[in-house]
Amino acid sequence: MLVKLVLTMFNPMIMIDLMVVLVAGMALGFVFRNRKRVNLEKVTLSTILALIFSLGFNIGSDNELLASMPRVGVNALLISLLTIVFSVVFLEIARKAARIK
Amino acid sequence: MIKYILVALALGIIAGYVNNNYGPAFPNGWVSDYLFNFSLILLLFVMGFVFGADKQAVANFRKTGWKIFIVPLSIAVGSILGGLVGGYILGINLVGSMAVSAGFGWYTLAGPLAGQLFGAEFGALGFAANFLRELFTILAVPLLVKAGKYAPVASGGATAMDTTLPVIVRYCGADSLIIAFLSGFVLSLIAPFTITAIAALPR
Repeated sequence: MLVKLVLTMFNPMIMIDLMVVLVAGMALGFVFRNRKRVNLEKVTLSTILALIFSLGFNIGSDNELLASMPRVGVNALLISLLTIVFSVVFLEIARKAARIK
Repeated sequence: MIKYILVALALGIIAGYVNNNYGPAFPNGWVSDYLFNFSLILLLFVMGFVFGADKQAVANFRKTGWKIFIVPLSIAVGSILGGLVGGYILGINLVGSMAVSAGFGWYTLAGPLAGQLFGAEFGALGFAANFLRELFTILAVPLLVKAGKYAPVASGGATAMDTTLPVIVRYCGADSLIIAFLSGFVLSLIAPFTITAIAALPR
């Protein structure tokens, strides 16, 4: 049961697709690195906004998520903030130690 | 920039809520599957292109090399410790709170999984805590970047490979793309295992 649940949530194919698209973009960018630059700012900004809109849509249409917020909201708030702070601190320490620029 | 993001997020939440609860004007999947995946794929391609064309970014990545994997590992340890401290302060089951923060922001995974392993109350907590991590990261990237160059990558956790990636790259620069994506990728990969492994600890 548990294994089945993990497998339904965990879809490696989507992650592979994302990786392929990213690498293809990088390869093309590298090949055309000396060409005259086109401005991609507008494309990126409007796509980011489309992505954030659909993220919001997923939240708003998720009744289970909305129902869980008032019940566990305060606990979730504290845990998420501490998780963020500790991960940032640990990363900064590790970066200094390993000299990652 | 953050202004537009807030507006887009708010409009999305309202549209999703209205469409879901007052008779669907169109299937939810149009936005949550088609628009989401299309914009994500397009963004990754464009950001990859910008990275590949940026000589400085490519050189910087070559210099970092294998050390890049220290990034997701330190984020994982920090996240789980954050959950431990949070659970201690709240006086709830420590194993449960650690498992919740071992979702690294992937709420659609951490919610159901924590619910299965620790009961409904922790399911709701896993859902909400990880969702808030994603939300806070998007909202706080401009602030976080002042705390450290890759602080938004840490805050984003597993979401640094998709939903929070474009915002991170915009504020941290093109050379953060690979670190952010790989860190999110590794954290997404290990999240199901960290949650289940922590759940196996004695409680």
